[in-house]
Amino acid sequence: MRSPSGPDTGSRSVAALQQIALLLAILLAWYFASGNLLPAFYISDPVSVAKVIGRWIADGSLWLHIGTSMLTLFLGYAIGATLGIAFGLLLGMKPDLEEMLAPFIAAIYGLPKVALLPLFVIAFGIGLLSKVMLVASVVVFLLFYATLSGVRDIDRDMIDGLRLMGAKEDEITRKVRFPAILPWIYTGLRTSIGYALTTTVVAEALSSNRGLGFLIEHSAAQFNAAGVFAAVVVLLVVSSLIMIPLGMLEKRAGSR
Amino acid sequence: MTFASPSAGPARERRLWLNRSMLAVALLALWEAGGRFGPERWISRPSAIVARIGDWLADDLMMHLGVTMTEIVVGLGIGLPLGIVLGLLLGRSPRAARVFRPFIVTLNSLPIVALAPLLIMWFGLGLMPKIVLVAFVSFLLLFFNTFSGARAVDEEQIDTLTLMGATGTEKFIKVVLPSCTSWIMAGIKNALPYALIGAVIGEMMLSRAGLGHLITRSAGQFDMTGLYAALFVLMLLGALFNEFANRIEKWLLRWRPAQTKV
Amino acid sequence: MKMTAAQKIHTQPDMAQITLENVTVEFTSRALTVKAVDSISLDIRQGEFVALVGPSGCGKSTALNMIAGLLKPSAGSVTYAGAPVAGPNTRVGYMTQKDTLLPWRTVEDNIAIAFELRARKAEAANARERVREMIELVGLAGFERHYPAELSGGMRKRAALARMLIYEPETLLLDEPFGALDAQLRLVMQQELLRLVERRKMTVVLVTHDLEEAVALADRVVVFTSRPGRIRMMRDIDFARPRVPEKLRFTPEFGAICEELWRELREEVAKSVAHHA
Repeated sequence: MRSPSGPDTGSRSVAALQQIALLLAILLAWYFASGNLLPAFYISDPVSVAKVIGRWIADGSLWLHIGTSMLTLFLGYAIGATLGIAFGLLLGMKPDLEEMLAPFIAAIYGLPKVALLPLFVIAFGIGLLSKVMLVASVVVFLLFYATLSGVRDIDRDMIDGLRLMGAKEDEITRKVRFPAILPWIYTGLRTSIGYALTTTVVAEALSSNRGLGFLIEHSAAQFNAAGVFAAVVVLLVVSSLIMIPLGMLEKRAGSR
Repeated sequence: MTFASPSAGPARERRLWLNRSMLAVALLALWEAGGRFGPERWISRPSAIVARIGDWLADDLMMHLGVTMTEIVVGLGIGLPLGIVLGLLLGRSPRAARVFRPFIVTLNSLPIVALAPLLIMWFGLGLMPKIVLVAFVSFLLLFFNTFSGARAVDEEQIDTLTLMGATGTEKFIKVVLPSCTSWIMAGIKNALPYALIGAVIGEMMLSRAGLGHLITRSAGQFDMTGLYAALFVLMLLGALFNEFANRIEKWLLRWRPAQTKV
Repeated sequence: MKMTAAQKIHTQPDMAQITLENVTVEFTSRALTVKAVDSISLDIRQGEFVALVGPSGCGKSTALNMIAGLLKPSAGSVTYAGAPVAGPNTRVGYMTQKDTLLPWRTVEDNIAIAFELRARKAEAANARERVREMIELVGLAGFERHYPAELSGGMRKRAALARMLIYEPETLLLDEPFGALDAQLRLVMQQELLRLVERRKMTVVLVTHDLEEAVALADRVVVFTSRPGRIRMMRDIDFARPRVPEKLRFTPEFGAICEELWRELREEVAKSVAHHA
């Protein structure tokens, strides 16, 4: 039976305490497991990992790698989003063309883009460009489909209603089509950041000498467990800083 | 602005496919010509690619495909059920959900596939690291989706059955589970391509077999024909996965109101 | 016989099927406290048909939720068949405003669901037969294998009604059951409801906006005030049973009672509109 005053707020602070306790428990378990239950060779321990991160901060290399990843991420994202929105609008307004091309686009979409990295490296070299192009290629499809959905979703009745009122074509575009498409584009922009980040890190792990992905791969190749865990922790922090605020934005946008 | 009129019959269908075929043929012809008269070394040509695939089929393509598929299937076999079960358990327990929420959200923002080097360090060469990667990725996806679905169950539907005298188990089987199906399906639809990506990435990082291996091997030898051939096979595989997922979804969710396309 | 809110109706306690005694319900969310129902007291006899009318938001549905055992009062007590309501009340059938059909089941599977439960296995004799009859009764013949998404709102309501009536609970709680139906179908359904209720001597608590429906069907009409809901007045309706609603509507006595109740109700509706303005 439900009580009308809802779940009691006291339990919210209890939950917070339990979370902190859980976090501490994990850290302690990790500390003691390392060397005792599992070889430190494989999982290192929190103290060593912290030391590695400290070293990276001290010699500035941490910022270099984070910066490289972020640069790749944002460049690729910007290019991909722009192209994706442009294509989405273009094909959205030419439905016959879109219909004809749809299976071709879908076929390329079905290919895991990361597989294209070797091709891009051969074409664009080992530097930043190949990774930026890869990220862009991932984002372009997502924004394309998002924009396309936005264009298709426009309420026919609303447009007809406005036409009957005497609205001109460009007025309709401004007052109905544009605002209708925007939420779809926003959604596309939000969801593609996660994919862009993943692509960036993976591409760096596969073929790069800089970036967070490189840090992980490089340490792993040297069987440097502390380094790997340190890089993963940094990645965890960075990705949380990017994704969590976005998630909250999404929730607020959705509740409107 | 013109809208596509709803498919007006078989004649239109035929014309559509005719156009598409012509486009495809034109592109292939262009590519073939480019390869024959241009830098074949870099862009190759369709005939060469087809021939290479033929060679591979006679050789060990099926073995490589088998490796990749094994990694995917086994990984999914572990990750999907675990994700669903845990999602249901935690989803129906509001207290547990509240405590674990921030951990889950944080974990979800981490690009899991980036952990591939770690797994390779642990499990070395062979299928294990890829299986674990696929399992982990699919587990997270299904967990998150099932969790959301379990929390989104319509409480009034549950109330209705409660008043009829249903036990907790009956309510779980008759309401919670079917209600979650569309969420679980969404998770599976996402998980399949991710599983493919995970397996291929793992193979590209370090492997002696599999489609990803074929890609890096060809690239390493600057064998563009081989590279394109491998990519093409991968593309086919991806399309098959998508189609498979779509079919399952359509069958499981036949009670859903039809989505009308403008 | 008119009674004011100041007088509580006392029936012999052992005959009261449902009792609400000084029940208050306050909803709190964050900083806001809303009193939905303010100290209402109501006795409902077994086999009685009571209609609750009042402006929107006056707590009628809340009252139903408490009898159903889905909601605990903030103050006061709710008793069913002599025992306090401490949890979901499986002796009632409840139809909410929103039809809660399971969208993944066909119409007939939805209606039959009660018989799948272990608690009702005993009643499941010729379930198939009874489901078919019920489908005919509510006018859904031919749509047995359709899914709720394929039905109109009115049809879904009928299916929900069928689902509730099929296992013949001793008490019915109905929250605007016929609101979404067209006028003719409404009359037909009202007649059918009466027929079933009178045959089985069911106790019925009906929440409705339709004053005519309340007067045609009920033994007693309870008028609620606007929020916070209190009982403004109650009126016995003495028309003989069995009743034929469509004929009853044209009698002068019927019109007089409706007019009398409407005058009470109108003030409350005006007040609630002023609140929301």
